[in-house]
Amino acid sequence: MSLGEPNLSRRPDGAAFVIALVLAAIAAVIIWQTSLMRVPPIQAKVGPTVFPYVIAAGLLVLSFATAISAFRGQFPVREKINYGPIAWIVGGLLAQLLLISWAGFSIGTAVLFGFVAKGFGRGPLWLSVPIGFVLAFAIWFIFSRGLQLSLPTGPIERLVP
Amino acid sequence: MDTFGLLGEGLLAALQVQNLLYALLGVTLGTAVGVLPGIGPALTVALLLPVTYRLDPTGSLIMFAGIYYGGMYGGSTTSILLNTPGESASIVTALEGNKMARKGRGGPALATAAIGSFIAGLIATLALAFVAPWVVKAALAFGPADYFALMVLAFVTVSAAFGDSALRGITALFIGLGLGIIGIDLQTGQARLSFGIPDLLDGIEVTTLAVALFAVGETLAIASSSTSLKEEVLAVKGSVWMTLSDWKRSWPAWLRGTFIGFPIGAMPAGGAEIGTFFSYAAERKLSKHPEEFGEGAIEGVAGPEAANNASAAGTLVPLLTLGLPTSATAAIMLAGFQQFGLQPGPLLFANNAPLVWSLVASLLIANFMLLVLNLPLIGLWVRLLTIPKPWLYAGILTFATLGTLGANGAMSGRLGPIPFSFELLILLAFGILGFILRRFGYPIAPVVIGLILGPLSEQQLRRALAISQGDPGILVHSPIAITLYIIAAIALLVPFYFRLRGKGAVLQQMASDED
Amino acid sequence: MNKLFLAAALTGALAVPAFAADYTIMAPAAPGGGWDQTARAMQEALQAEGISGNVQVTNVPGAGGTIGLAQFVNQFNGNPNALIVGGYVMVGAVLTNASPVSLANVTPIARLTGESDVIVVPANSELQTVDDLVAKLKADPGAVSWAGGSAGGVDHIAAGLFAKTVGVDPTTVNYIAYSGGGEALAAVLGGQVTVGISGLGEFDAQIQSGDLRALASTGAERLEGSDIPTLSEAGVELVVENWRMVAAAPGITDEQKATITADVEKLVTSATWQGILETNGWTDMFLAGDEFDAQLAADISATEAILKDIGLVQ
Repeated sequence: MSLGEPNLSRRPDGAAFVIALVLAAIAAVIIWQTSLMRVPPIQAKVGPTVFPYVIAAGLLVLSFATAISAFRGQFPVREKINYGPIAWIVGGLLAQLLLISWAGFSIGTAVLFGFVAKGFGRGPLWLSVPIGFVLAFAIWFIFSRGLQLSLPTGPIERLVP
Repeated sequence: MDTFGLLGEGLLAALQVQNLLYALLGVTLGTAVGVLPGIGPALTVALLLPVTYRLDPTGSLIMFAGIYYGGMYGGSTTSILLNTPGESASIVTALEGNKMARKGRGGPALATAAIGSFIAGLIATLALAFVAPWVVKAALAFGPADYFALMVLAFVTVSAAFGDSALRGITALFIGLGLGIIGIDLQTGQARLSFGIPDLLDGIEVTTLAVALFAVGETLAIASSSTSLKEEVLAVKGSVWMTLSDWKRSWPAWLRGTFIGFPIGAMPAGGAEIGTFFSYAAERKLSKHPEEFGEGAIEGVAGPEAANNASAAGTLVPLLTLGLPTSATAAIMLAGFQQFGLQPGPLLFANNAPLVWSLVASLLIANFMLLVLNLPLIGLWVRLLTIPKPWLYAGILTFATLGTLGANGAMSGRLGPIPFSFELLILLAFGILGFILRRFGYPIAPVVIGLILGPLSEQQLRRALAISQGDPGILVHSPIAITLYIIAAIALLVPFYFRLRGKGAVLQQMASDED
Repeated sequence: MNKLFLAAALTGALAVPAFAADYTIMAPAAPGGGWDQTARAMQEALQAEGISGNVQVTNVPGAGGTIGLAQFVNQFNGNPNALIVGGYVMVGAVLTNASPVSLANVTPIARLTGESDVIVVPANSELQTVDDLVAKLKADPGAVSWAGGSAGGVDHIAAGLFAKTVGVDPTTVNYIAYSGGGEALAAVLGGQVTVGISGLGEFDAQIQSGDLRALASTGAERLEGSDIPTLSEAGVELVVENWRMVAAAPGITDEQKATITADVEKLVTSATWQGILETNGWTDMFLAGDEFDAQLAADISATEAILKDIGLVQ
């Protein structure tokens, strides 16, 4: 099995330093929030604050170790990232998130479907979104009407008795 | 005659053509719904339970058993083929199963999962029928301190899922532990790390986190990488069936998985996932091919899948003998049993023996039908991989959001005038986290494992100390706890000792764990 | 895969006929829980009895029902077709979670079902009666560990009120919270804790089989045919009942409220509803109108007082 350290250049890794910082920041937030807690009198020794403090301490240690590891360049080599597809997929999830409550499950999910396909390089949207709509509407009908799952409805779903 | 006679009668009743069809229908429905990412067995059973009410009691019981097994198996299929576990108990399956699928060995992976589930289900259901009253007595002896020791052991075994860097594995685990703090503290009712957001009061849903990290994170990782986008996935390489060597490597794993899963499932606070962690760790330690772990070792699918099914049958032990539902699925099954006039509890076996035996018979039949349905379908399932990536991943995200909305679709967030589902926002946020973790070589499974084990271990530790009024001696007071600590110490120290002797360099070991 | 899935799911679809909606009932809990079961039982009975053409159930789980409650108030203000299922647990959850929306923001219609808590001990416990328990509690409150449902829930409130009633400081109650689903039962059966306190349904089977001994029930009256004394019979003047209710949206007119109340009255007297109560083992505790409003107000103020006493709410 590989040793997991394929970064042969061993140069300090800037992005990995950011991870170390984020870990430290999470630890700080946990400590700050926990210190604001009011501990009810019944909880004598190990109360609701002990585990958060222990976990925060652990995260601080790990943050430090990550920084050392980043300095030594021990993170695996990363492939060049394509931001376009990520934007399409995250955009699709966001669009669905904001659409379904008023436009309904089918329309919101159709947009998600089309955007994800677009992110993978398959278009055009005028074709993939309608395909997504047919799929999403069928799913909505089966689960909402057939199995009584509560899914958001919009104008189109309301047309179905 | 008693036991065997009654079981025989139940089997005869269940074996009528009509009832077999009900079993097949139940298994089909259960698999179809359970296969959707984010829709685990609990939701599957809850959704499909009303369908069974229209049948006669025997028929509905059999169909119900079919739905239950179908829902359980459905989660493994997506775990193996698409690296998107539908529920927490099939997370471990994804570790090796998906690696196998990517190498064109999805067929054997699905087969070992199906046959392993069948064998585990068979043994565990028979164990349920014959030894339930004794198992439950042993399970009740577990106090909070013993459960805490069990969790410590579970933490030790998590390292099996760490991948190639101990630092990154532990970091992933701690991220999960941190997420586990969020929400109302059970012992005091105080909100922790909820930042005044009501939706965080119930904590992070394990299913949502798993679907986000695996399904959404995977989608982002593949779409953004030119090489994996172009990578041709071979649906089948070699045989779609298990080879002789696959069989030889699988059967001991099935049996071990069964014997690990069943008792853990029977413990009132054991949890279905924990058996799968133990099984995976055991297979990794015992395997003759340790180098294959992380690259698609068949034992790593066979063991945990058997453990998962055995543990599910195990949860029926406290459910039937005590009326004690110990998982979400069991709670819904309890509601189902009551509809069939079956009142689980200590008097069940005495008062209601024929119904119990027809339930056991139904479980056996449904388990068998699952195998009948799924073995021939494996060839079809692996074809999922040949769906062009754009449609496949668009479909995966469609179903992932459906499952998330179905489990918790409250439109409780608000952006200006537009209400939105907070759970979907969580799905998106952790999806991005999953992508970042993948990019920097962090393993995903320990995050979810941390979210599961953290709250469990904290509650048990605090319960133990509350009962003892703060005396830490209670933690090592019982023989069960002491035994568990000794096993944990052996599991932890023995490989460490060999590594020290073998390599000498301690610091290097801390940075790169490669067992 | 799609064809198979579609065919399978359509079979399911055919089993449930579809009509236009009359009532929408929100269950502020996940599918399968007690409130969800109540909502779905109402749905079944309202449709079967022809009181309403079609009833839809929506699930909004989270935080003891307070998330569903908040969404209900925002979404259905003035809507005479919207109902929400709730219960005593919500009263405590509103307080412990400092929820901005409370039961005062909806229009309570009626109490539907209810359940008493019971105080149980393992069969081999030295405690034989409530008096024994009171004596042990007074001697050393910390030595009596109580297993029950989540902190701030009805079981915790009942334990706190018990201590307060017998003159023990409620902050010293050594309450061990277990998540629902009977984990508390396992702790009592295994002898891990001194007493268990939870709904009768959780312990009933073990009481009948003799594995547990019921010291008292917290209800106002004995259950029919039961030999478990009530707390007041055992000398502790205390009644705690866990109930489930149905409420309508805020901002509806008095006529609309009267129509809904009439429909609910029809529902609870129907044969279908009574049948459902029987199958599920629920006790009918129907109470509507001013009597219910008064009872609700009394429960809310008592709960607030005891949660402050225990120290869970400031």
